[in-house]
Amino acid sequence: MRITVERGGGLAGIQFSNDIDASDLPSALLRTAKKIMHERKASPLKVSPRGSADHYIYKISIQDGTKTSVIECNQYNIEADLKSLVKYIEKNSKNRK
Amino acid sequence: MFLKNGCNLVHGSSRLSNWTNHACFIIPEYVNRKIVEKGTKKQKEQAWRNLVLTEQLRGRRLVTGLMSSMFSVSNRLDRTIFDAKNSENLPGTLVRREGGKTKGGTTVTEAYDYSGLTYNFFRDVFNRNSIDTRGMKLDSTVHYGEDYNNAFWNGTQMVYGDGDGDIFQRFTKSIDVIGHELSHGVTQYEAALEYEGQAGALNESFSDVFGSLVKQYALKQKTDKADWLIGGGLFTSKVEGIALRSMKDPGTAYNDPTIGKDPQPGHMKDFVNTTNDNGGVHINSGIPNRAFYLTAKELGGYAWEKAGKIWYITLTERLRERSNFQQAANSTYEVAGTLFCKDSREQKAIKNAWHQVGVKVRK
Repeated sequence: MRITVERGGGLAGIQFSNDIDASDLPSALLRTAKKIMHERKASPLKVSPRGSADHYIYKISIQDGTKTSVIECNQYNIEADLKSLVKYIEKNSKNRK
Repeated sequence: MFLKNGCNLVHGSSRLSNWTNHACFIIPEYVNRKIVEKGTKKQKEQAWRNLVLTEQLRGRRLVTGLMSSMFSVSNRLDRTIFDAKNSENLPGTLVRREGGKTKGGTTVTEAYDYSGLTYNFFRDVFNRNSIDTRGMKLDSTVHYGEDYNNAFWNGTQMVYGDGDGDIFQRFTKSIDVIGHELSHGVTQYEAALEYEGQAGALNESFSDVFGSLVKQYALKQKTDKADWLIGGGLFTSKVEGIALRSMKDPGTAYNDPTIGKDPQPGHMKDFVNTTNDNGGVHINSGIPNRAFYLTAKELGGYAWEKAGKIWYITLTERLRERSNFQQAANSTYEVAGTLFCKDSREQKAIKNAWHQVGVKVRK
């Protein structure tokens, strides 16, 4: 299983992409990834506070064999477990950007 | 989640009132007006937001004088700087109030000084009383997050990261970035341009335009002396780039192995259709950015005096939530005609500038 985090938006509008193999994840985050893979069918709405601007937008893709789950959210509606996963991947990806 | 009946959740008791896609008006306008008159400070603020939202969604302009008469309006600069201490909790710990002693280091000083210069710019040049025309307090949080490579406007305040020291330096370093973020607040209270597609790119572009003008005004620079960069000096020396964006030459601000090449187009033929970045709001803003630069260059002198004034009136009196580049071009042309008369040098400059970026003014 491979997990890719794409972070876009922000003041700079630059797209950053980081990925990690599931075997490199701590067990708690691996459980989070599997939970996302199996339980979350739809992406959270990309809503943000009225008038807000320059916030981060996330696209998290989890690929397991031929199946891929994609979650899109932003810094305001990202759920806590997902945020922990994103932070870990951004910090520990071997091709860190 | 957008409710078409326009009548559902109660404002003030629901977080949903803060989200863009929810239009709920169960509280009648006259009740909100009463709350603005008689309520507590917190209730007044919420009722005011409801009224602003109602006005914007109905496509009407705010009757600022009427609203302002309902409760007190501050006529003085009022800045507060908070320190998030590398957490993501807002607003953080208060470190400096208006008129308070300099403390908290360079980052706090920059957030304080540059937000003051932005306030002065809008007051002196456009006779505007802060972000909301009612003397809204300017709250900023610095040291947000860990290695946080961003600055943003969250609808009520500015937030600045320190950068990771690898790609970015601290985001308070650049006066035009602070001007950019505060200008998002101005847009929020005026045209309220949607943060998506061409309207979103216009939203970004107006922030770049006024961010750059704040810097030019502070340095008393004429058009030919300005750098027309947004976020100049934010990159570390490891990055091959001079800024986040160039209004003069979109697409040339950086070209680096790690972060890639600046993707901004400067002409409609290169318009980027994408679902990333809310439909490329930071990408396609290069087109109206260049239109502004070309107008300012043609007119010469101080860019805020003519081009800036035309753009400001367009934002505050002409554009709507879903305006596009064509409407922005037509509106700037109309405003130039009103301010400087029909077929004036200024109006011709506007027409030529938009034509050079691939938008033909239709009037």
